[in-house]
Amino acid sequence: MSLRDALPTPRIHRDGLNPNAVLISLSIVMLAAFWTLDMVSMAPNRIVLGTGYSAPAAFGWPGALLATLLFCAISFLAWQPSQRHYQALLAAVVMLMALMPFGLIVSSFLLIEPELAQARLGLGAGYWVTLFILLLCLVELRLRLNLTRLWPTLLLSGIALVWWLCATLWLDSLALVQEFKARDQLFLRAVGQHMTLVGIAVSVSIVLGLALALLMRRYARLQKVAFTVLNFLQTIPSIALFGLLLAPLAWLAVNVPFLAKLGVSGIGTTPALIALIAYSLLPMVRNTYTALEEVSPVTLEAAKGMGMRASQRFWQVRLPLALPVLLEGVRITTVQAIGLTAVAALIGAGGLGTFIFQGLGQAAMDMVLLGALPILMLALVVDAGLGALAEALRPGGAR
Amino acid sequence: MSNSLWRWPLLWISLLLISVVGMSAAEPLFHWVEPDARQVIYSRADFYVLLGRHLFVVGIAALVTISIGVSAGIAVTRKRGSDFLPLVGQVASLGQTFPPVAVLALAVPVLGFGTLPIIVALMLYGLLPIVRNTLTGLQEVDAELITAAHAMGMTPLQILRQVELPLAAPVILAGIRTSVTINIATAALGATVGASNLGDPIISGIVNGNMAYVVQGALTIALLALSVDSLFEVLQRQLRSRLSAS
Repeated sequence: MSLRDALPTPRIHRDGLNPNAVLISLSIVMLAAFWTLDMVSMAPNRIVLGTGYSAPAAFGWPGALLATLLFCAISFLAWQPSQRHYQALLAAVVMLMALMPFGLIVSSFLLIEPELAQARLGLGAGYWVTLFILLLCLVELRLRLNLTRLWPTLLLSGIALVWWLCATLWLDSLALVQEFKARDQLFLRAVGQHMTLVGIAVSVSIVLGLALALLMRRYARLQKVAFTVLNFLQTIPSIALFGLLLAPLAWLAVNVPFLAKLGVSGIGTTPALIALIAYSLLPMVRNTYTALEEVSPVTLEAAKGMGMRASQRFWQVRLPLALPVLLEGVRITTVQAIGLTAVAALIGAGGLGTFIFQGLGQAAMDMVLLGALPILMLALVVDAGLGALAEALRPGGAR
Repeated sequence: MSNSLWRWPLLWISLLLISVVGMSAAEPLFHWVEPDARQVIYSRADFYVLLGRHLFVVGIAALVTISIGVSAGIAVTRKRGSDFLPLVGQVASLGQTFPPVAVLALAVPVLGFGTLPIIVALMLYGLLPIVRNTLTGLQEVDAELITAAHAMGMTPLQILRQVELPLAAPVILAGIRTSVTINIATAALGATVGASNLGDPIISGIVNGNMAYVVQGALTIALLALSVDSLFEVLQRQLRSRLSAS
């Protein structure tokens, strides 16, 4: 069974007269966070902890009042929700998200004195909370308006474009931008490495997983053994598995020159890839196996009755019907691999995890963010993309 | 019957205890693994201390996540909280995509180094399987059973405690099992942000190139995970047999 099927299908009241308690409470929390928590922090240089500033100091009174007005508008509109009010709410939420970087521009003018070239602006807890709750509002509105996945993706890409424009044009003092500018080449290479590692690990595990699942269907005894071994592998913590592969591979590289020539070494990409594949196999095999098993025997019987040969039945009936669940496995595997690759940075495999662990080592939190945020976004994008693909491939089309 | 039920947990737990107490007895073995190193047994802290800290972190996180997760799941499946159901369901599935390293890394800037960020990261990460399974478990309860219980004159609280929760318990327990087992392995990452636990030997082994340390840390964590996982297996089996008996 796939994860998405296991989830409750949203039950939505369509009477439209009851106040939407979700949006009202979200906007109240947002308002509280906006006025009580620090929105931005300003530090004179990279290592010193910044001093926090609350909303009026950070965005000026006009900015703070404008945001408050929009929060109140959300509460007000959610009090008597109708289709049109929900559309207005969506507009308000999108506008708030698009306005957020402009708030940062205002605070960089207000807070940073021009003679402090090293000064940098950090994002405060209030800023993160507001952003997070706005995303929750977006999820809620998508469900209420019954929008397909495409819409939020388009809106979020638009908002991301605004953010990116603001960051490149006016937000030089933002700590995250400074960290990026100091190592933009390194960053792009790290993203490339990260995606390559994930790509190789996932494609190898798709092939191996499919082969293993097919063998399991033929030899029933293999099934128990394979699942026991794969389950055991998952209990070993990822850093330990990465570490454990260092020694044997280093030994191989020294003693078998042919392998060393192929690039096998104790540290770096090889142990990372082996560990990534080992971890990816369990979700892959499990989903592939259940996907192939779950195909209704009645359908297969019908195919047989139509005179299809065994190979035809597999390629034209079983595999296409199993494909959505199979893709679900690919989705889970890929998302997991994106996170595990970050840990692989500890054994020198490169990738975005490098920034996380270097940043932790130097106590430079903005560098940690530079590594962690793209990993998070990568995971979310892959999740949404493969989820949409699986939905589209479901027999009978999406929804 | 009961003997075979407890066989695996007993085996794993005794292996775990043996490895924690008798790690130094295996010194010659580790010398063979790492012949060049001067010291082959991790000695900055005793293994039982590390094990205790590891269990403490995972235990605190588990207590908090179980109480928050199950009550959130119950709250949104009640009539009054049903407005929040779609959002919570979506967030529980979406949150599963957050890599634990990223959650940990994001917790550090807010909470500083040490044990606190790892506890918070484990709580956030462990919450989602529990919420998801509580929702699934409660929603899978046959609506007619609830109607029948209602017709028998049971109050909503009685229905929840005597009908819904017992029927949903296996699914909820499966969620708790997933959450705790994942967290035991993830807690090892805490060693990178200055929390001292069983991840310590692994990290210092990787940093100093001492394989023996890595083996010791990995072995203990794997045994701990297997012990806890097999205990949950026993619990699930007992629950299932009690459900089918009644």
